[in-house]
Amino acid sequence: MVVGPSGSGKSSLGLALAGLIPRDIPGEVRGELCVAGLDPRAAESGAVAAQVGLVFQDPGSQLVLERVEDDVAFGLENRAWQRADMLARVTEVIDEAGLTGLERRRSNRLSGGQQQRLALAGVLAPRPAVLVLDEPTSNLDPAGAAAFFARLTRLRADRSTTIVLVEHRVDAAWPLADLVLALGPDGVPIDVGAPDEVLGRSGERMAGAGIWLPRPEASRLRLPGRLASLAAARPTVRAANVGFAYEHGAPALVDIDLTFSEGERVALVGANGSGKSTLGRLLVGLLRPMSGEVRLEGVDPSHLPATDLARRAGYVFQDPEAGFLTDTVADEIALGLGPAERAEVPGLMARLRLPLEAFGPRSPYRLSGGEARRLSLACALIRRPRLLVLDEPTFGQDRLGYEGLLEILRARLQGGVCLVIATHDERLVSDIATRVVRLDGGRIVDDQTIEGAA
Amino acid sequence: MIVARDLAPAQLDSPLGRTSPVLKLAVGVVWFVGLATTTQTGPPLVVAVAVIVVGLLFGRIPPGDLTRGVAPVWLAALGLALFNTLFAAANADLSASTVAQLGPFRITAAAVDAGAGLGLRLIAIGAIGAVFILTTDSTRLADALVQQARVSPRFAYGALAAYQAVPRFGEDLTTLRQARRLRGLRVGWHPRLLVGLLVLAIRHGDRVALAMDARAFGSGPRSRYREVRWGPLDLAVAVGAAIALVGALALRS
Repeated sequence: MVVGPSGSGKSSLGLALAGLIPRDIPGEVRGELCVAGLDPRAAESGAVAAQVGLVFQDPGSQLVLERVEDDVAFGLENRAWQRADMLARVTEVIDEAGLTGLERRRSNRLSGGQQQRLALAGVLAPRPAVLVLDEPTSNLDPAGAAAFFARLTRLRADRSTTIVLVEHRVDAAWPLADLVLALGPDGVPIDVGAPDEVLGRSGERMAGAGIWLPRPEASRLRLPGRLASLAAARPTVRAANVGFAYEHGAPALVDIDLTFSEGERVALVGANGSGKSTLGRLLVGLLRPMSGEVRLEGVDPSHLPATDLARRAGYVFQDPEAGFLTDTVADEIALGLGPAERAEVPGLMARLRLPLEAFGPRSPYRLSGGEARRLSLACALIRRPRLLVLDEPTFGQDRLGYEGLLEILRARLQGGVCLVIATHDERLVSDIATRVVRLDGGRIVDDQTIEGAA
Repeated sequence: MIVARDLAPAQLDSPLGRTSPVLKLAVGVVWFVGLATTTQTGPPLVVAVAVIVVGLLFGRIPPGDLTRGVAPVWLAALGLALFNTLFAAANADLSASTVAQLGPFRITAAAVDAGAGLGLRLIAIGAIGAVFILTTDSTRLADALVQQARVSPRFAYGALAAYQAVPRFGEDLTTLRQARRLRGLRVGWHPRLLVGLLVLAIRHGDRVALAMDARAFGSGPRSRYREVRWGPLDLAVAVGAAIALVGALALRS
């Protein structure tokens, strides 16, 4: 298992093991590297890829062919397997992945968890000597992640493949590891060894570097509950009988009725596809309900002029890159700001560990996953919105990023800001939420104010 | 509009669905060239009717889908035919026989013939394209291009992966416009949106290319999980297509 803070080179290590660095991604490699007896730099094109399987974080961008069985067979075709062997092997790995019956299904019609198990099946089909998994569960809901780890546990028991797992959240993975490599902030190894030894020897340094440790830590971060004086707070946003469906799609939301008030911190939870993101976008007026109405401080947010909306509501996308609009970090944070807000930029960026001196001239698309997320959070926070909606804000965040997020929210959530977070992260829910709303199939199935929080 | 669409099993298992996509592509090209040899109305009309009937009967295309498939091209064809009829040079020829006088427009028989010929050719081409798309599975097209037309796998499967990403463009554009609105900027069209789309498309392409390479694509000889073979059905379609074209062109006077 490889652990390390965001930007420590965990993914680069995986790409180098698969022979993609420096062949597909140019760069300078020093030292020695030996994978399944081959040096990836000297080996023939594809020779290393034939020995190493690589599973990426985003399930959607690693499936090559349209249908489940075709995608599983793709790696076998590339290694020129005999057709009869392919047919048998494809059936076998689809069965192991729990995807039997879905052979002809289009992969874009699968759930995120199924897609990730399919990606693993396609990579495992050729029986690679080495399997590299780069944060494979960070986009999955808890059920999808649990199923993925169950598959990984069986795979480990086979002992037929060397498994290299890059992971932030180590609770599920730690018991599976034979060896842990901890990387520091600049890609320099902190320690490598048996899990217990590493934890005993370097636990504190790892924690200091921002690495999640597997112990169930008593949360020191729990935000204080809503102030009593705000208990009778004014409603910030209200949804009445809201329904929504995407074009050519089944209804995404049905009969949503809720009111979120000043000072409330609401967690929207539920499986992938249950409507969390859609509800978040409706609340800030990025989408218009097809039935019912949404009122943000009494007005319909989807009809507000953009300048007005931006001051009332902030929204952070699940995929931060998809919302970037300029070529440098400095331009990105300054886009659309007035002079007063501009003056606050350096301080906020420093608190989010994105100091303008270092990050200002860089391209927003060249940030690590955690850095990109903090930048998009900064773009929303700088306007001091009264409703802040965050879509999966802790995906791929290391411990420092997570603590930083909570700290910045604590500092900024004074004065009755209403916070809504769509998340799978159970730790985040328990650290932050004063109210948990559970969605299933586009309907509210549970709505609880947390004991002692309100 | 060509977008990735799911074809029903009925269409994929129909005789046209089982015909080699490469052969269908070749038939389309030959018909296209054949129709270019004439400006008359008869041949394209015969081809268009034949293609539609074959598409409905042997491609089992639902009529509604076919109508939506041909509609954009057919509307363009109608416009083209009207424009060419109204503004044809033949209308100025005083010796030509007048069919109608619409205000300032004198319309001659020669102009009507030329306009209709042009429009009908476009209608035939639209029908050919729609029937091809509505009976051809994109994975099978890539397989057939590689196995039957000796196209490089890198090109064929790369294009297939790109084709699958087409729906992402719409989602990316929506997100970028929402991101502008959240910064208090006017939504609407802005050149920056195109740059953003391009950046996202390139990054997605990079990632897919990386995923393909990571799975040893292009590392040496490939084998085939899905075989595409020539069969009697292909021969029948080829003969039928040739007869239809020869028959249509025989209508030339």
